[in-house]
Amino acid sequence: MKDILTIVIRLTVSCLLAATVMGVCLIFTSNAKKHNEHVKEQKVMYSLLGYSGGATIPDSLAMHEVYRYVLTGPSKQSIAYLVPQGHGEEKGFLFVNINLDGELIEAKPVSLTEAQSLDPESRNKAMLGAADTGYDVQFADKTFVVTDNGQRIAYLLGGKFQGFKTFINVMVAVEPNFSLIGFEVLEHEEDPGLGAEIEQEYFKNQFKGKPFAALKEIDVVKAPIPEEYLKALNGKISEKDVLKVREQYKDGDIYALTGATISTRAVANGVKGIVRKFAYRVEVLDKVLTEQQLAVSF
Amino acid sequence: MANDKSSMQLISRGILSENPIFKLALSMCPAVGISTTVMNGVLLGIAVLFVQVFSSVTISIFKNMIHPRIRIPTYTLTIATWVTVIDLVLAAYMPEAYAKMGIFVKLIVAFAIITMRLEMFACKESVSDSFWDGLGMGLGFMVGMVVIGFFRELLGSGMILGHDVLGFKPLLFFILPSAGFFVVGLMMAFFNWIEIYYKRSKGLK
Amino acid sequence: MMTLGNIKSIVFIALVALLVPIFVQAEGLIVDQTFHGDKEIVVTFAGSVDKAVVENVKNYTVFEEPDPDIRLKMSSAILGVDGKSATLVFAEPLNTIETHVVSIEGLNGEEKTVFTVSKSYLGYLFGILISALLINNFVFTKYLGLCVFFGTSKKKETAKGMGVVFTLVTVASATMSWFFYNYILVPFDLNFLQIVVFIGLTSLTVQAVDTVLRKVNPVLFNSFGVFLVLVIANCVIIAVPLILANNHYNLFETLMLALGAGGGFLLALYLMSSVSERMQLADIPPTFKGLPISFIVAGQFAMAFLGFSGLQLF
Repeated sequence: MKDILTIVIRLTVSCLLAATVMGVCLIFTSNAKKHNEHVKEQKVMYSLLGYSGGATIPDSLAMHEVYRYVLTGPSKQSIAYLVPQGHGEEKGFLFVNINLDGELIEAKPVSLTEAQSLDPESRNKAMLGAADTGYDVQFADKTFVVTDNGQRIAYLLGGKFQGFKTFINVMVAVEPNFSLIGFEVLEHEEDPGLGAEIEQEYFKNQFKGKPFAALKEIDVVKAPIPEEYLKALNGKISEKDVLKVREQYKDGDIYALTGATISTRAVANGVKGIVRKFAYRVEVLDKVLTEQQLAVSF
Repeated sequence: MANDKSSMQLISRGILSENPIFKLALSMCPAVGISTTVMNGVLLGIAVLFVQVFSSVTISIFKNMIHPRIRIPTYTLTIATWVTVIDLVLAAYMPEAYAKMGIFVKLIVAFAIITMRLEMFACKESVSDSFWDGLGMGLGFMVGMVVIGFFRELLGSGMILGHDVLGFKPLLFFILPSAGFFVVGLMMAFFNWIEIYYKRSKGLK
Repeated sequence: MMTLGNIKSIVFIALVALLVPIFVQAEGLIVDQTFHGDKEIVVTFAGSVDKAVVENVKNYTVFEEPDPDIRLKMSSAILGVDGKSATLVFAEPLNTIETHVVSIEGLNGEEKTVFTVSKSYLGYLFGILISALLINNFVFTKYLGLCVFFGTSKKKETAKGMGVVFTLVTVASATMSWFFYNYILVPFDLNFLQIVVFIGLTSLTVQAVDTVLRKVNPVLFNSFGVFLVLVIANCVIIAVPLILANNHYNLFETLMLALGAGGGFLLALYLMSSVSERMQLADIPPTFKGLPISFIVAGQFAMAFLGFSGLQLF
């Protein structure tokens, strides 16, 4: 009996010790983790817009984040957006609730600072407070509207889709007319040497400059990339020639990676889906915002 | 066990005569799984080194307070705690490298080599000896990972540490997942060959 | 071996019992709904329906479950000759991985009839099993559990024993981990404790199986008891809970993953031990004797298993 007691006491003490070590570590790392994730996201966003490797970012450039939520009530669903009203700390966000037919249900300001909006928990709480009682809010996605002197120059869309092994997490940049600027793979678990090649520049460059009309119909071909195109994709020829070659192939399909057709197809279809859905939604949102004359920051 | 083991001897034992990967053939999973680049090897090596050293020291400090009947659960708890710590730290400060290593950082908890060192060494010896032994074993693992990673990265993608050295890709095969088995197998055979050759030359003399 | 047969039948019965609820489907106006090709949905009604209502495209609203605001364009709806089944044809290919929600207005006087179309759930579950068993075999394509794999694949008998014990423990510990993860770790925001909790549960399962088996069936314990100690040193057993936590699997999916992981390990062990037994007769160069040749053989198996990639049954 005494034996059991000592065992229990010693186990409890060691568990407490372990818990203290882990708890202290969590407290120290969780803030750094959030900060680093934010920094990484910013870096990816600016590099997609062409400001990579320490290029100075003009002051006129501004990012406006739009959060989309799906509200589910007892018998109906609607889409709610959290749209920034201004860029200052005090301006806050606008809660725009749109029904499934694209008509405004309700729009009202939400008191949420920009710093709070970065934290999913406080953001979800604010949404829950803004929505009618009995509605469940579900975060769907986050979009950045990029403006230069108040003019929209690009959209940055986050999204994830099923790859060959697990999910592939990407960020896609499109122009206001929805032609692709490019995309970046944020997270994936494809096989090295095969599916992991989706990270490579020559693969990502295939998507560069695809017009929306071509992207809608995009498909994957199982053929080696033509030599001249490959050179252009690798950036081994002059800038002017790259543009010329890209122009030639811009309506074409995506060449599959060797031994990784499934990954290639997943990326092509995933990017296509993200852009198409966004193109539809942003049109609905813009219509509502102009019709109701709601002031937003972009 | 004599008490006159110097720190250098303990370290070199871990790296050479009792190398966890090539000699003891323990902790093979990451050696095959993510040894595609030198960098992966270094990073996972650091993680294992950290867990091994801290667990060895912890167990060695508390060795007189551990009840013999709950020895193994205590070891597991200690290792799991330090793995959680390194997991959190890597996720926070090196998110990109962490993403590359995937599940393997968390799996350090199931590495036989760490438990084995705790059971065979740390629970009997002094704190400083345990520290040097842990350091040696961790370094041995790291060296093994780096050597495998070196060959796979050089032959598979023509690069070392992400720098293009060869300018072409000799054999894509080496970077493919299944090549890990071949590389490790061939290297083990190579070490065997050296040993046999060495013994023979001695024997002939 | 009698005992092995017993275990097999127990596992089979448990599996059937778990899958029964999936076959039982709710009764209603809609009897059956499936994807047909990538552009069509086939709906079967319980009785005869109004042709004018069914064939009017305007009565339909179809969307993917996560995107309720994006309606999918239908080009036509055709009622079959039997008057009971309709084919809904869409303008663009459907993403059949997602669940589709279809609602019909005015069907048989009802204001709205809503039903969902998804790929057969059973097929999906089976897909997880096959994936863990062959396509993403834990030993040959994920490179986990290698220490135990090379240690216990010398003889067929050992391989079988280890594989079966391992499968049972994996299923038990994965189920427990699932409950702990979903009802303790997630609600209390303790995700960072994953490693400690999962390894603790695994050790607990091994200890429990050890104690129970020793008392209940000493014969079985004598033949399988040795492997129980090795189970805990196998990374697969800790990888399974980590994967299910990452992918937010439900209980059925968890069971399938655990079964697939265990079965895949058994398969790998059995294949390897068959080769090992023959290798003992072969004349292997002295430098390759022992582990090196085992690694080369495992590499060849891994290459063969690469051929399963892209395999899709459902």
